[in-house]
Amino acid sequence: MSTELLNEISENLQRGKAKVVKELVQKAVDEGLDPDVILREGLLSGMDVIGEKFKANEVYVPEVLIAARAMNMGVGVLKPLLAEAGVKAAGKVCIGTVQGDLHDIGKNLVKLMLEGKGLEVVDLGTDVSPDTFVQTAIDQNCQIIACSALLTTTMGVMEEVVKKAEAAGIRDKVKIMVGGAPVDDAFCKKIGADAYTPDAASAADKAVEFCLELAGKSA
Amino acid sequence: MTNRERAMNLLHYKPVDRIPAVHFGYWGELLTEWADQGKIPRELAEGNWDGSEKDVALDKLIGWDFNWNHCSGSSNGLSPAFEWKELEVLPDGSRRILNGNGIIERHKPGITSIPSEDDYLLKDREAFETLFRPKMKFFPERVNVEYYKHFNETRSWDVPIGIHLGSVLGSIRDMTSVVGMSYLIYDEDEDLFADIVDTWADMQYECAKTILETGAKFDFAHYWEDICFKNGPLISPELFDELCGKHYKKRCDLCHEYGIDVISLDCDGVVGQLLPTWYENGVNTMFPIEVGVWGDQFEPARKKFGPGMLGVGAMDKTALRKDKAAVDKEIERMKRLVSLGGFIPCPDHRLMPGTKFELVQYYAEEIKKIRI
Repeated sequence: MSTELLNEISENLQRGKAKVVKELVQKAVDEGLDPDVILREGLLSGMDVIGEKFKANEVYVPEVLIAARAMNMGVGVLKPLLAEAGVKAAGKVCIGTVQGDLHDIGKNLVKLMLEGKGLEVVDLGTDVSPDTFVQTAIDQNCQIIACSALLTTTMGVMEEVVKKAEAAGIRDKVKIMVGGAPVDDAFCKKIGADAYTPDAASAADKAVEFCLELAGKSA
Repeated sequence: MTNRERAMNLLHYKPVDRIPAVHFGYWGELLTEWADQGKIPRELAEGNWDGSEKDVALDKLIGWDFNWNHCSGSSNGLSPAFEWKELEVLPDGSRRILNGNGIIERHKPGITSIPSEDDYLLKDREAFETLFRPKMKFFPERVNVEYYKHFNETRSWDVPIGIHLGSVLGSIRDMTSVVGMSYLIYDEDEDLFADIVDTWADMQYECAKTILETGAKFDFAHYWEDICFKNGPLISPELFDELCGKHYKKRCDLCHEYGIDVISLDCDGVVGQLLPTWYENGVNTMFPIEVGVWGDQFEPARKKFGPGMLGVGAMDKTALRKDKAAVDKEIERMKRLVSLGGFIPCPDHRLMPGTKFELVQYYAEEIKKIRI
């Protein structure tokens, strides 16, 4: 019965049925299912499917956005219960669009995918200075700084983020990920960032990989 | 030969004396930069738009022959547009502004690029029926019929001029933001989004028809969409085809009736997945084919659709920020594309800040030397 209900949550999430997902999550809670299990095997597994389909061009931005909206509705029900149970996120990422750039569609998609992997995300918004990225990572113990840019004229700020992180002495504790229209792997390597990913779903996969790697290091 | 003849001959696989030097305009910041550097007179940096007198004056200074985006159209936006209104000033000095399309934008001091979109008005059926549908209606004043009656006497016959056909989906995205469009597609009222697209498209069609009925002569027709990004289309190709295909066909068929057989479409990003819908419904000219920033290409489209698929663009504009060697490399690549026929080289989008004035002059001079 619980497997059936979790599958139903996942399937409705994939179809973006936010209200239904909220009701089903509440039903699962009422039936006594572990909130962490509902989160992982219902909501996050649904977002995983969407992420894979997005990478394969089987679904597009609208389907990701409505699925994420459904996930957030479900998470809203679970949040207080997860906090009460002391369930911690798999990692923490601070994300933003770099200084001088106000474009946030790509950044928001990555944020949704990161949340869909169970990571905690500190959204710094747009026009974020290198200092803010680095200081936030220090203050909030983020394992990852994720920088987005749409413009060729602003992508250079990412190099500043890398330099500031080095100057602050956090380079061994924090991975820096870059993405956005003009960014590619060669640029990522040139500026000394840790990873470029071509799409939001791949970014989330990479972020999870980094969090596991860093957790292994600190363990 | 006139530049008009050169362009239209190239797109019809006919002989030309030389390749025209074609461009797609500039970022405003670049013109200011060039004025600051003393490369161009300050007055040419302000109020300069595609095909304007200032654009043409700048063409002469640089060595361009014409701007492909030089089109003539109608008042085919929301009418009346929403009144621009400052809604709020945030602590960091940002201003939240309601724009003419019903989008609430956030403008930040010191940042001149496209503002971010905070919210939007077109959220449900009620907003559509009360706020938007009345602004999407066709009415005769949308077209300056008197102007078009005399168009053939006043237009330049040296350069090609297109009739602007508006958009099918891009303008709606401008009214909803990508997020809002996504929600509208899937929210409870299943017919709403299609109704919005149909209402908008019908008005665009009437505008084009009214212009063409005046007898005004155009060399090509031109759509604007901007509905793709780095990884392809913003919505699924199947849904795009279902919602938009018939509207492209209707306007393209209209153009064919008036003898216009070159129909181009301006869409940024990687457009390959939407090409079948466009091509099968009459759009036959890709523009601007963003090679540099997004990695798009013309050759695969030509290979897939054959000689009927034409192209304007595909020159990596980022080379114009580098050096002569980078420009020479692009010119070599343009030679190969020109040799395919049915193709006109053009920078793959508006020239951006950091573009070197002398390199643009050099490119414009060298591209004219290509012979078929």
